[in-house]
Amino acid sequence: MSRWLAAWLIALTAACSAPATDRGSPAQGRLSEAEARAAALARSGDYAGAARFYGEALRIATSLENADAIAANAINLSVVEQWLGRDAEARAALAAVLDEPRAGLSERRKTQAELRRAILEAASGNLGAAEVWAGEAERRCASSCEYAAAILNVRAQVALDSGRNAEAARLAGAALERARGDSGRAEAANALRTAGRARIAAGDAGAALGPLRQALEIDRALGDPRKILADLTELARAADAAGDAQAARSYKERGLAVSRAINDGRSAAETEVLLRR
Amino acid sequence: MSVALPPGRFTRLVLKVNVFLLIALALAAAFMAMVAYKQGWFVRQSPLHFVTPNALGINKGMPVKLHGFTIGQVGELKLAEGGVDVQLSIVSEYLRRIPQGSYARHAREAGVIGTAVIDIVPGEGTLPLAEGAVIRFEPPRGISEIIDDFRRQAVPAFNEVKQAMSQLGRSGEDLTAILSALRREVEQLPATHRAARNLLQEATKATAELNQQAATTLAATARVAQGVDRALPALSEKLNASIQSIDAAAVQLKKTGEEAQATLRDARPLLDHSETAAREAGDVLSAAKRTWPLSDSFKETSEGLLPIDSFEAQGKGRVR
Repeated sequence: MSRWLAAWLIALTAACSAPATDRGSPAQGRLSEAEARAAALARSGDYAGAARFYGEALRIATSLENADAIAANAINLSVVEQWLGRDAEARAALAAVLDEPRAGLSERRKTQAELRRAILEAASGNLGAAEVWAGEAERRCASSCEYAAAILNVRAQVALDSGRNAEAARLAGAALERARGDSGRAEAANALRTAGRARIAAGDAGAALGPLRQALEIDRALGDPRKILADLTELARAADAAGDAQAARSYKERGLAVSRAINDGRSAAETEVLLRR
Repeated sequence: MSVALPPGRFTRLVLKVNVFLLIALALAAAFMAMVAYKQGWFVRQSPLHFVTPNALGINKGMPVKLHGFTIGQVGELKLAEGGVDVQLSIVSEYLRRIPQGSYARHAREAGVIGTAVIDIVPGEGTLPLAEGAVIRFEPPRGISEIIDDFRRQAVPAFNEVKQAMSQLGRSGEDLTAILSALRREVEQLPATHRAARNLLQEATKATAELNQQAATTLAATARVAQGVDRALPALSEKLNASIQSIDAAAVQLKKTGEEAQATLRDARPLLDHSETAAREAGDVLSAAKRTWPLSDSFKETSEGLLPIDSFEAQGKGRVR
């Protein structure tokens, strides 16, 4: 009898210690709804709509002083604004996390925001600023941090754009080592692509073909056409520089087909110009 | 009446008091150390200077930013030859990122409004600035300077508008000439009308002649029509058979449509039931997800964050 009583007491204690069902306030409900709609629109490719709802979610999260939701929505907003080509707006979205110190903001969120800012600056060609923000993210990110590979890839990219090819190759190698597991496959492909580009820049085009082919294999498995196009373009450059005109032409034609399929008119025109040479 | 105290109540009292005071002292020291750490007292800072003829808007403690990133703050402000000597306290670690030729400017974080900061604009030099170096300062633009600027840019535009207006005024004279020419043309309209009537009479005569020729042509056409009349009955029979087939097919199609409509009507309650059942199942599942101990098993695996992909650092994330 006493055993049953003890078991019942343990079950009761556990039930009481479990968090109460979070029914949430109306504002909390609106926040969840705005986040869900923004995510659905981003998945369906309506980035302008997604930006509108992420902005709304950020506004509601700010009114609720929910630091984590503020950071998550600010980061998401910066991503879609960059996809829309609106870099200034993307930078302004991150200011909600980077320029206003908030209590309760986790180190992880700060790292994500700093990494996003570094990516934005690098994409805009502000290499000095990109290096500073990537350095901040790296300082915050421990060696086992999940964003270590992405940070190293951004640094490698900055080094490559600054003409420091050897450093870029070294950083890309380090990124490849850190990009482990299924979640790190995209960054592993990015590291291989940057390593290949660094070798082309260093004049060793033959050695660039190996990592670029590996990157293409991963990107095809992940199914990202933008990256497949980038890999094929770099492979065409490498084969061309290595003197294999036939392989270069084949890569260019494949790149052209991908480019036409993703309706990137500008890129298709560039590839066509390359083919005519 | 005296209260009897238990024996040994105050033994080693001095020692106990000292231990208590020591702990309190240690806690106070730890608190002060934490405050000092948070205030950045342990961070080594290097000074930079600039001299401004007017230090309005510059305050001690104002943040100093490089590429929008805070690298220090305004330290001391001292009256000096030719203005105010402003000392910037830069975190030594970031001093190496400020190249020679850099200058400071007064800026606001969001354009005209927002927090005022000292923004360091990086120069073209390759070597970093030395500790204690004096840099150039670009003072903020006053409202009168902004208005002057606007005036300088707006005046040519206004002049062009004025010129266009005067041209329009001159073209008013041309308009008068055009109107008088138009009136002259209107006066000549009756003569034009008479000429047009003559033309019509001649056209009527020509049409009568054409009719005579057309009668001959019609006789020939009648002969052709007789030939067509002979061929038409056979063609008509064939056409009739085709129309009957089409008619039968249409009747069959109508019947099929009615049957499909009836089937849909029968299926409607079933669909409604399915929808209600699905909704109820969804509600039950949602409720189960919120209920302990199932709640832990149904936690969202994703935190709802879009991918942070270093690929976009290449500027290729724009077109997706």
